[in-house]
Amino acid sequence: MKEFAVFWGCTIPARFPFIEKSVRVVLERMGLPWTECDGFTCCPEKSLINNIDHGLWVLTGARNIAIVDEQGLDLVSPCTGCISNLATIKGELHVDHRKKEEVNSMLKEVGRRFTGSAGLNHLVPFFHDKVGAFRIKGATKRDFRGMRFAIHYGCHMMRPYHALKNDDPLEPKKFDALIGWLGGESVNYMTKLTCCGQGLDRVDQHPTALQMARVKLRELNSLGVDAMVLCCPSCFLQFDNNQFLMEKDGESFGIPVLYFTDLLGLAMGCSPEELGLGQHRISVDGFLEKWERLNAARDTEKRLEEELKEEGAFI
Amino acid sequence: MIEEHLDFNLLRKCADCGACYNVCPSCLYIEGYDPRAVIKDILEGGFERWLHSEHIWQCLECHQCLELCFQHYGFENAMTTMRLLATKKGIHPAQVKRGWDMFIKTGRLGEPAMGQRKRLGLPEPRPSGKEEFLRLLAIYRERKAQEKKGGEAER
Ligand code: SF4
Ligand code: SF4
Repeated sequence: MKEFAVFWGCTIPARFPFIEKSVRVVLERMGLPWTECDGFTCCPEKSLINNIDHGLWVLTGARNIAIVDEQGLDLVSPCTGCISNLATIKGELHVDHRKKEEVNSMLKEVGRRFTGSAGLNHLVPFFHDKVGAFRIKGATKRDFRGMRFAIHYGCHMMRPYHALKNDDPLEPKKFDALIGWLGGESVNYMTKLTCCGQGLDRVDQHPTALQMARVKLRELNSLGVDAMVLCCPSCFLQFDNNQFLMEKDGESFGIPVLYFTDLLGLAMGCSPEELGLGQHRISVDGFLEKWERLNAARDTEKRLEEELKEEGAFI
Repeated sequence: MIEEHLDFNLLRKCADCGACYNVCPSCLYIEGYDPRAVIKDILEGGFERWLHSEHIWQCLECHQCLELCFQHYGFENAMTTMRLLATKKGIHPAQVKRGWDMFIKTGRLGEPAMGQRKRLGLPEPRPSGKEEFLRLLAIYRERKAQEKKGGEAER
């Protein structure tokens, strides 16, 4: 496997260091060839920067990509926004040589060069494609049989497709496959691919952002899932923080929100403390209790079976 | 000026189509959000009123419309263009301006939460590219200013 750098972006280190912890713990335990780079800036964020200055958006992204290009690394991000922005910028420069030259003539003045040789991927399709079922199953000790999950993909994990090319943009399957490899059930639900709506919180429209969060949370509440699982800090903000704010105001949903690496980490035997699960605003205690209960029941079953076998019972 | 940003041939087809209204999350869940109305006004030459509308900031850039579109166009293009023209005139939510200001000062939209990181036992974050970014920003601005001067001289 080619060595890769992790691109944390701004939101995870600033607002959710416990997500960074969860990702680090999993990458480390898996023994994957990962590293970090000096000198990254904001990816940059699309709705804020691109709306004001497209040229600067492209130039900043190209500089970030140049950092990994120069070191012969690939790049993987646990943030859907970062990876979608970087891939879109890379795609734009690949089809427009004049623009690429122009960007490189400016980068040259700070000693950098964009080639676009680095592969860019989001953590979830990366685990699906590059780490793979064999390695994942080999690294896990426990599974999630009997647990029902609502996957929230997050639009920018696989859209726009022309830039990311990592899953079907309208009917993605890789996250579902990963949950399956961990033994969990991915519940199909109507608003599964609907955008989280967190972007509205960045343009002074908080009540509308909450309105969008409710769409999914209400459906999941009526379906009765054990947790929502996602892999994007903006989506996490929308469903964990904003769900918490609404619950404080008297609404009730009760949907624990897990990061993909939280789930993988638990299956690998990491403790909830190591993964920072206590810092989620919506308590994950109920989820963990159910999981322990199911595991304990299965352990008893297994023990009984073995005891009976030893007694030479005919089963 | 607006023709610089939008392909009117595609836009006309889009006005006749309207198919993705039913997959657009903002159309489905936000009252009054409708890119088709914006497109109609653009084609008829009266889009200015949209520059002040909160609706143009409600496009989530989720790209559902783009992926579904038979001409790989996406009616988000009309919304993106409206936002671009609005910000050029200095019309935008205050939060957007705050984010922009922070970005051009620091190269980031937030600084690592050092206290929390320590408590979690996380290592020092890698140094950011702030200084280099600021130099690059100065170079970029200079180029743009030159281009503008060149353009004016030509005229
Ligand atoms: S990108 Fe904007 S216009 Fe297109 S479907 Fe998403 S919210 Fe609607
Ligand atoms: S974006 Fe494409 S699919 Fe949607 S209304 Fe326009 S032409 Fe039709």
